[in-house]
Amino acid sequence: MKTYGTEPGAPTPVQVGISELVVSDGDDTLKSYGLGSCLAIALYDPDSDIGGLAHVMLPDGDTADNSDRKPGKYADTAIRALLRRMVEQGASYTTVKAKIAGGSDMFEFESFGDGVGQRNIAAAKEELEKLGVPLIAEDVGGEYGRTVEFTPGTGTLLVKTADESAENGRVEL
Amino acid sequence: MKLDVNALGTFYRMAREGAGLAAGRLTHMTGVETQVGVTKLNFMRGREIQRDFEDSTEKVGVRVKLTGAIEGYSMIVFERENAFRIVETLLAESDEAEIDVDGEFDEMTRSAATEVGHIMNSGFIDGWADVLETVIDVSTPEFVQGATAEPFFGDVSEAPDDDDLALLFQSRIETVGTEVGFSHYLFPKRESMSALLDRLRTSGGIEYDKLDGFDRMAERGAEEVAKTATTLTGIDTSVEIRRLNFVSLEAIPEQVADQKLVGVAFEFDGMPSGYLLFLFDEESAHEIVDAMVPMEVDEDGFGEMGTSAIKELGNIMASGFLDGWANVLDTTIDHSTPEFIHDMGAAAVDPVIIQLGENQEFAFVFDTVVVADGREFDCEVYAIPDEADLERALNNLDVDRIEETPTTAEFQEVNNS
Repeated sequence: MKTYGTEPGAPTPVQVGISELVVSDGDDTLKSYGLGSCLAIALYDPDSDIGGLAHVMLPDGDTADNSDRKPGKYADTAIRALLRRMVEQGASYTTVKAKIAGGSDMFEFESFGDGVGQRNIAAAKEELEKLGVPLIAEDVGGEYGRTVEFTPGTGTLLVKTADESAENGRVEL
Repeated sequence: MKLDVNALGTFYRMAREGAGLAAGRLTHMTGVETQVGVTKLNFMRGREIQRDFEDSTEKVGVRVKLTGAIEGYSMIVFERENAFRIVETLLAESDEAEIDVDGEFDEMTRSAATEVGHIMNSGFIDGWADVLETVIDVSTPEFVQGATAEPFFGDVSEAPDDDDLALLFQSRIETVGTEVGFSHYLFPKRESMSALLDRLRTSGGIEYDKLDGFDRMAERGAEEVAKTATTLTGIDTSVEIRRLNFVSLEAIPEQVADQKLVGVAFEFDGMPSGYLLFLFDEESAHEIVDAMVPMEVDEDGFGEMGTSAIKELGNIMASGFLDGWANVLDTTIDHSTPEFIHDMGAAAVDPVIIQLGENQEFAFVFDTVVVADGREFDCEVYAIPDEADLERALNNLDVDRIEETPTTAEFQEVNNS
């Protein structure tokens, strides 16, 4: 969701809606609510404290018509767009690291095939590998929803489930 | 007049773009942070729009007449209290007298409210003109207020009559951290809309009159859900909201309450195929379990008994809903076994939009809310059909027979295989 007139450094977390990506730095918190089979991709450069979060919906943007308009919608184009914007803001490509969360398979519907969540995870991993960005942490799969909060400055990706008191209710990546 | 998904998609982009510009200008003017909330294209009958207005809250509207590429009326509507709050922010810097939010609009507050409304209207309209790459002229703004629909569009000939189905643009702009929201309505002239649709359409499209079929589907489906819910739980339920939205897929999970919900999901197959979700808040789900399961159930979770009770209810409601559709469309629609979910609401919806997202960017969503008098029973129903199937199903529809079709779906035993 786009916010107009946000002061830089404001304490409220910046919402990253489905198909959106946001690049920021320092102590800003980027937040995506209620990921089911969607995937949160967080990239950051620990040297410059610049990082970004994408809330992707589908695996493959290279074959889609609208990926120019909505790079954040697809795992592959979102990763490239995040990297490009981070580098534009001063991040160094070679030190960028990645963390991912989400990609659950909430339902076992016949039409879902191998699982819509799994396809997103595989696509993100493949693109990161291709670009040589190390994936250093992940909390993916399962059959439950997640809310994530990412702080570019520390590289911390906080993953919460609906039942925070459960064993995996609150994970810090 | 015919429409297709491409044309509606352009309309949707117009609405988003317009809402963005309007929000930006509101921020510029008041210094208050704003964000664009849900944007929807609604297909509504005149009487439903009127009902929307008649929730007994006083409202304030700023209306302009449009000429050029779009002809008709554009109107910003805010609740009276919210209008005062914005006016207050605007006038805070000048040392004017205290504003009494319960009082009447005086000349100063009225002109400030009109200005805000006008600047927002212009934002929307400039956004549309950008998307359409054309010019739209705007009249001077007119201030209207009241608690019913009459002062707002009683004298607007473009506004739909009781039974007319109108395409309505609805956008919310919210101020960050506070609860000040606005709605925006566009009532286009039929000829102007028709010309626009012709320009934007890229396929054969659906005859506009066949949209009546949509409305019938929504109506029958909703009635069946309320009926089956009442039969099964003994809780007297009724349909509170029933409308057909055209939205981008991404907007669907954003609309779901940001809390832990209990739901039952189905995939359905036929003409059309798609997905159907029933979502309850936790209290309602507990109430349902209490009504359906005679013995005490574990308080915290839903346990095996609770889960199966909710799945059973979902299953019967799904049969009723889809039978309602099948009757209107004169076809059969099968559905899967129920999938139970107790999780964040948005997480339950996103797998469905991901699956549909492989082939479509937008979706028609049949939104239904079923409620009970005096008891907790809030059920949101999301029916999201495959777009291509839906278009085909509607095109096959014989509009003349819709009125005569009786609802024959009967309460029946579920096949829980």
